[in-house]
Amino acid sequence: MSTRAIPSPIQTMQAVARGYLPRIFQVRGWVLAAIPVVPVLLSLALTALLRVQGEHIPPALYLTAFHGVLAKFMLPIMALVAAPAGIREDIEQRTIPLMLARPSTIWMLPFGKGLLWYGWGAIWLVVACAGLLGLGSSPEGFLYQATAMVFAYWAILAFMSLLGLVFKRGTLWGALYLFIWDPLVRIFPGNLQRITFVHYIESIAGTRSSDVAASQLLAQEQITTPVGLAILILVVFGLVCWALCGWKLQATALGLAGSESEG
Amino acid sequence: MIRLERASLRYGDILGLSPTSFELPEGGGITGLLGPNGAGKSSLIQLLAGLLPPSGGEVNIFGEAPFRNPNVLVRIGLVPEGDRFPVGLNGTRWLRMMGELSGLSGSELDAAIQRSLLAVGMETRAQLGFSSMSKGMRQRIRMAQALLHEPDLLILDEPFNGMDPEARLNLMDLMRELSSAGKRIIVSSHILGEVAQLTERILLLFRGRLLAEGSVPEIRELLDRHPIELRVASEDVRQVARWAVEQGELVALRMDEGAAILAVRNPRDFLPKLQDAIAAGQLPLRALDPLDLNLDAVFQYLTKDNA
Repeated sequence: MSTRAIPSPIQTMQAVARGYLPRIFQVRGWVLAAIPVVPVLLSLALTALLRVQGEHIPPALYLTAFHGVLAKFMLPIMALVAAPAGIREDIEQRTIPLMLARPSTIWMLPFGKGLLWYGWGAIWLVVACAGLLGLGSSPEGFLYQATAMVFAYWAILAFMSLLGLVFKRGTLWGALYLFIWDPLVRIFPGNLQRITFVHYIESIAGTRSSDVAASQLLAQEQITTPVGLAILILVVFGLVCWALCGWKLQATALGLAGSESEG
Repeated sequence: MIRLERASLRYGDILGLSPTSFELPEGGGITGLLGPNGAGKSSLIQLLAGLLPPSGGEVNIFGEAPFRNPNVLVRIGLVPEGDRFPVGLNGTRWLRMMGELSGLSGSELDAAIQRSLLAVGMETRAQLGFSSMSKGMRQRIRMAQALLHEPDLLILDEPFNGMDPEARLNLMDLMRELSSAGKRIIVSSHILGEVAQLTERILLLFRGRLLAEGSVPEIRELLDRHPIELRVASEDVRQVARWAVEQGELVALRMDEGAAILAVRNPRDFLPKLQDAIAAGQLPLRALDPLDLNLDAVFQYLTKDNA
């Protein structure tokens, strides 16, 4: 009779993160890295070119790059690229039964794999924010911007992973949320702004970009959440989403599928 | 050790496995799950391996329900059918993860990986990516992952698919070795010959229900009751027909172009007689073809027989 120890939740998380580590150094991983970094590099190259030509560089260009490009587009795209590579990938590849047949802590599997993609994406978000220094951002601004990106990515990735586990077309629902609901923050009155990711990013990173002018017809007054509280909300929201991912996987009976279960 | 008490499995409206009861004792041994495609073998395997909970009844492995139960799963090794592996990983990396998910770590894990790869003959090729491996190699890796944590119960779903004859024999030897070391092995197949080479005990499944249970000779006897059809081509078909009607095993006879179609019971008794008659020059035989030796035909017959 076996007297094998049953892996703890932490061991399960480590096993999955270590096991899938090579995945982040493959195509999807580099695409994920390129999403925040390439626009910043292009901006840096463009401003360098303009400087050489003696053109005027707007002093708040970094704000447009951060709010109008990184926060608005690149961060959601990163989450939409990374989330399907999480435990959703094992479900679609039908490799999940081999993991579920192990004595590991099943509810930890989504978090273990998600953590890998979170860590990798967060590194490149920080690099991208560091690049904003070259566009005029200050060291203090960099600190807040990087913090906003890293915690928002945590929450958004967890949310997208949950959608991927709950819905068959989770990526689609995620895209709808991020690209249709979230931008509506501009016209949401008062506390309704608090149910968008943009609100927390802006609460941590500071002012909105210049593309939001008071002259917009339906624009509402921006409310803010204190930085510490905004970070806490993003962290807790992410944790809740990861916990729900774990619960969903634990509670769902996933057997062999297709030809494997025909016999 | 393994006890099913009217355990059934439904996939929505579809019944994958009718209420099924059987018991396998503690200790080593190989049990064959035999049945054609769609018989319910994989449904049964999913219940035993704890992948799915029963829709009705009870499944007990080592005294507990296996579904989402680490205490049971730590003693089970599963080799599912199908060629599915995570993209972008190599054999060793994947085995390491599977070992860690089974509670192994450090030098114990290294030793387990080495031992498992050696057992399946993949010790020098496990570093390859799955996409660079042949189907047979991937099957061996799948086998290795099930052996890592030295499970007491090994469940193999159609393990010989895609294996070359040598690998097949090696796997059979390995299974016999594990069985004699006290491991209980459940192996599914739709090929009787394959299972018969391995096991002393067979569970016969058909259309989602357990049709019969017993030793290989018992099952063979049951199968022998199914009349098989033989097409005997001869220059003198009438002579063949005259000889055949004198044999007690003949159930039906009809004539085809240049051949007699014989339906016979107990082919293991009949065929040596036919062989002797040919050797004695009594039958001018040109060709002998079995027409319905496939397992589906036998199962169809048994189902009618049981009804």
